[in-house]
Amino acid sequence: MRMPGWKRLAAVGLVALCTTTALPALAQNKVLKFVSWQKDERGTGDWWGSVIKEFEATHPGVKIEWTKVERGAFADTMTTLFAGGQPPDIVHLASFEFQKFADNGWLEPLDPYIKSAKLDLKGWAGQDTCGWNKQTVCVMMLYFGYFMAYNEELLKKEGLEVPKNYAEFLAAARKLTKDINGDGIVDQFGTGHETRGGGGQYMSEMMNYTLDAGARWTDENGKVTIDTPQMVEGLTRWKTIVKESLTPRDLAAGEVRQLFADGKIALKMDGPWLWPIIQKGKAKNQIKLSMVPFSPPVGGSSNVLGIASEVSAENKKLAWDFIAIATSDKFQSTYATLGASPPPDPRADTSGASKDTPHFDLLVKATKAAADAKVDRIPKGLELQFNEFAKMVMEESQRMIIQDLDPKVVAATMQKKAEALQKQ
Amino acid sequence: MPRPAFLDLARPSRRHWLGYLLLLPAVLLIGLIIVYPLFVSVDLSFQNVGIPRLDQPRRPFTTANYERLFTSPEFWNASWITLKLVVIVSFFCFLLGLGTALLVNNRFRGQSLARLLVALPWAVPEVVAVVIFAWIFDSSFGLMNWVFIKLGLINTTINWFSSPEAAFAVVCVTMIWKGYPFVSIMMLAGLQSIPEDFYNAARVDGANAWQRLTNITLPSLMPVLGVTLILVMLWVFRDFSIIYVMTGGGPLKATQTLSIMTYEQAFGFFKMGYASAVGVVTLIVCVIASRLLMGRAPETV
Repeated sequence: MRMPGWKRLAAVGLVALCTTTALPALAQNKVLKFVSWQKDERGTGDWWGSVIKEFEATHPGVKIEWTKVERGAFADTMTTLFAGGQPPDIVHLASFEFQKFADNGWLEPLDPYIKSAKLDLKGWAGQDTCGWNKQTVCVMMLYFGYFMAYNEELLKKEGLEVPKNYAEFLAAARKLTKDINGDGIVDQFGTGHETRGGGGQYMSEMMNYTLDAGARWTDENGKVTIDTPQMVEGLTRWKTIVKESLTPRDLAAGEVRQLFADGKIALKMDGPWLWPIIQKGKAKNQIKLSMVPFSPPVGGSSNVLGIASEVSAENKKLAWDFIAIATSDKFQSTYATLGASPPPDPRADTSGASKDTPHFDLLVKATKAAADAKVDRIPKGLELQFNEFAKMVMEESQRMIIQDLDPKVVAATMQKKAEALQKQ
Repeated sequence: MPRPAFLDLARPSRRHWLGYLLLLPAVLLIGLIIVYPLFVSVDLSFQNVGIPRLDQPRRPFTTANYERLFTSPEFWNASWITLKLVVIVSFFCFLLGLGTALLVNNRFRGQSLARLLVALPWAVPEVVAVVIFAWIFDSSFGLMNWVFIKLGLINTTINWFSSPEAAFAVVCVTMIWKGYPFVSIMMLAGLQSIPEDFYNAARVDGANAWQRLTNITLPSLMPVLGVTLILVMLWVFRDFSIIYVMTGGGPLKATQTLSIMTYEQAFGFFKMGYASAVGVVTLIVCVIASRLLMGRAPETV
């Protein structure tokens, strides 16, 4: 049945009206894509939310489409997005994975933006890491230093003081590792390390001991320096801790942190992200913080912000505006308060954070100690091969423990394999 | 106006065209999501490429990825691990699957509940199954160590995921638990299609239970067994999530199968060309294995 003429006319008119009124609205509603693994993180996620809110308030008609991707699937997702020609406008990456993206020319050089915005990055923690092929391709969002959290009650029960060096730490860890209920299964551990999962995290755990022994994976020129007496000592310490099961075995980082927060582990070296986990744990009232008993502490760059090189010029400009807000002194100050982490900006006002977070000064001290010692989890000269290198280090260390190999032999093997990786 | 003759699908000589037309959307979709990526993958395997871009010109043709692959101990180790896993998991899946199918095929009180319990692991998502087993076999707080210690079988805890042999065994157990219900369901369907008259005739002839199993049940199940075997083997061959979540391929590559290796090379080390070569070889092996088994299937009917 045909529609009457007046109805058809009205319908056409309505469609035309809708189309013409919708056009300006469409033009105004610009969407910037921002993918992050920190969306639901307590503190840091709230801070990102505040940056987005500020950006949208100062850029009417522009919305940030904020998508969460789990950390475990993040590299895969970002690789797929870039390879498929659909990168996010605002690029958030871990500081050990951006190099591959930069090497492919997928990250916009930020020097012109930094220059025109007069953004002062002098003294910005970890910013040196963001250089690639003599250009700045990102801005560092977090540089951290490890502190030590300890269960005061468990230490007191054993009549132990907070350890101040490796020997004391080892003695305390041995005394605190015990079978409490006598069922033949150890249910309280001296310390806690991830010994299952990714190579990067495994390496960070090992570095507590290798750094204190004076060992480094590479020197400042990127030359591999593993086959040294210091590294042998570091590997020996790691082997002792794991082989004697002073740490629960085969657990992922999150599980170890939870066990510590619940009072099953006495001493734990970790970064600022441990604090919110402690707050939700059963043993939160028994846990105190101090500097790590090692020198220097593990530390390093964590995550970076950049711009995808292939988005439109307009989107690049908007993405930079977003970065400018995130790196402003005002938001760097709130980063300290909300994220309970030392911001990379040396000009940030952290007095509020010191009031809100009792251990904030300790975090700053730990971060400074790591930064002064130029500690980073990503060895210089092995940035592009970091994942392979980390996996190799993990496997050779596991082999050392499983097959009870001499750390001297293991250090020599690692040296050879790392050099081969560098030549690839 | 009369329709053009070539569009007249009502004509007997054109009738099959309708079938093709109806199939076309599905064929196009399969071509888009399976065949095209396959071609891309094969193409990438002949290029020296890290992270590829489909909109950029292809790199020069090279066989370097395959040369590296066939001279790599890691690849042969992954192949051996995959083969071991396929044989062990398939064998035990069949043993358990056939056993449970024969069990729940009998009439007894609680038969429905038993069938439900047999099929339950199949309904559990793989990742959930992995989490359950990871905690059962946890080195420090796991149920398995506790049970073994209580039974006096061990006097110190086993680090299940720190020992290559133990980690491999745990992966096998998890995969068997997850995979046997599928065999069981398929076998049950096969068992219920065997006419009761066969068994009655065999009983009249004086055949005992074992003879009925070997002379009636198993031969009748052969067609189903063949197809199920192919499906289970292919599942084990390409399964990724169980191993990746449980062990990540470790320790010391003891559980690194070809699919784990492919993923690691592609998304861990960003060597997409090399990863594609591993993927292509895996595909070829899967196709050959399937063809061999399919080729045998009709003979067994």
